[in-house]
Amino acid sequence: MQSKFSDIELIEQTLQGNQAAYADLVKRHQRFVFTLAMRFTKTREDAEEVAQDSFIKAYRSLQSFQGQSKFSTWLYSIVYTTAMTFLRKRRLDTSSIDDANNHLQLENQSGGFKNDLAENKSRSYYVNQAIEQLMPDDAMIITLFYKGEQSLEEIAVTLGLEPNNVKVKLFRARQRLKEKLERNLKHEVSELI
Amino acid sequence: MNSIEEKLWNYLDGTCSPEEHEEISRLITTDQTYQQKYQELLAFNQELESMELDAPPMAFTYNVMEAIRTEEASKPLKASIDHRIIKAIAAFFIGTIAILLMIALTGNHAENVHATVQIPVKVQLPTLTGYFSSPILKGFLFFDVVLALFLFDGYLRKKHTVVL
Repeated sequence: MQSKFSDIELIEQTLQGNQAAYADLVKRHQRFVFTLAMRFTKTREDAEEVAQDSFIKAYRSLQSFQGQSKFSTWLYSIVYTTAMTFLRKRRLDTSSIDDANNHLQLENQSGGFKNDLAENKSRSYYVNQAIEQLMPDDAMIITLFYKGEQSLEEIAVTLGLEPNNVKVKLFRARQRLKEKLERNLKHEVSELI
Repeated sequence: MNSIEEKLWNYLDGTCSPEEHEEISRLITTDQTYQQKYQELLAFNQELESMELDAPPMAFTYNVMEAIRTEEASKPLKASIDHRIIKAIAAFFIGTIAILLMIALTGNHAENVHATVQIPVKVQLPTLTGYFSSPILKGFLFFDVVLALFLFDGYLRKKHTVVL
């Protein structure tokens, strides 16, 4: 059950030492934070790690939250930096086995793709599939804009960019997504024929 | 603005000016290319709006709160001490030292005050004059001064580091 308190009220309660209030904040934002983390990591295990780290970092620096922007905007900027750090670290750690992993993932994806053909998949499935194939930045901008209730200005704050820059990036991201979606659907149709 | 697509996205997102909005509305109704592209982008936009969010594991909130609790518990004692308590203790010691100093410096008056106190029961009060003039008190005061200087030095160093 969602808390009746606003984000700001829950933050005030947390700062007074009420940890249950922070648990309510986590419950409220966990789905979106997890989805954002998934846009970067592509696996549920890693996404869980990034999302958990983000919430812990947010808790640690809750006192520095000034309330000048929405809590969600502030939280998403933490998710973004945490995910970027995670990716950088992951690239350094596993650069040598990346190719092998990617190959395996592609094999699994295509295998799953064929298996799922019998099912009547929704358009939403294809949209999510195409988003997964996008670069993390593109996927994040689209997710923030459509599901995060964030304006271009708020996305700019989250990503540390200018609003005009975000507008251009959003336009390009949507173009790329549309191309991928069309390609995937074409491929699906040809598989069925 | 460049392409038709870019204009239409601005129209759909509501990021164009009222004049541009009016012009694009007109073009959608009159121009076949605009109309076709608009319908296509509108459908795509609706698909994006209806995309689903991923659900984290059931125990996600519990795991986060457990991690926070563990972190809080492993915090060093130094970080969890209330600074007001430290200040109160400091104030107590400073007050005590100040009073002792005053008594020590005005030793004669203290003796007079002591003389006027009426004690009903026969109690032998220790004569403090001996202690105040003794090397023990001097040593105690010297230790206090050194300790105060040491703490003040530490405070200034810390302040200097924070400024840097």
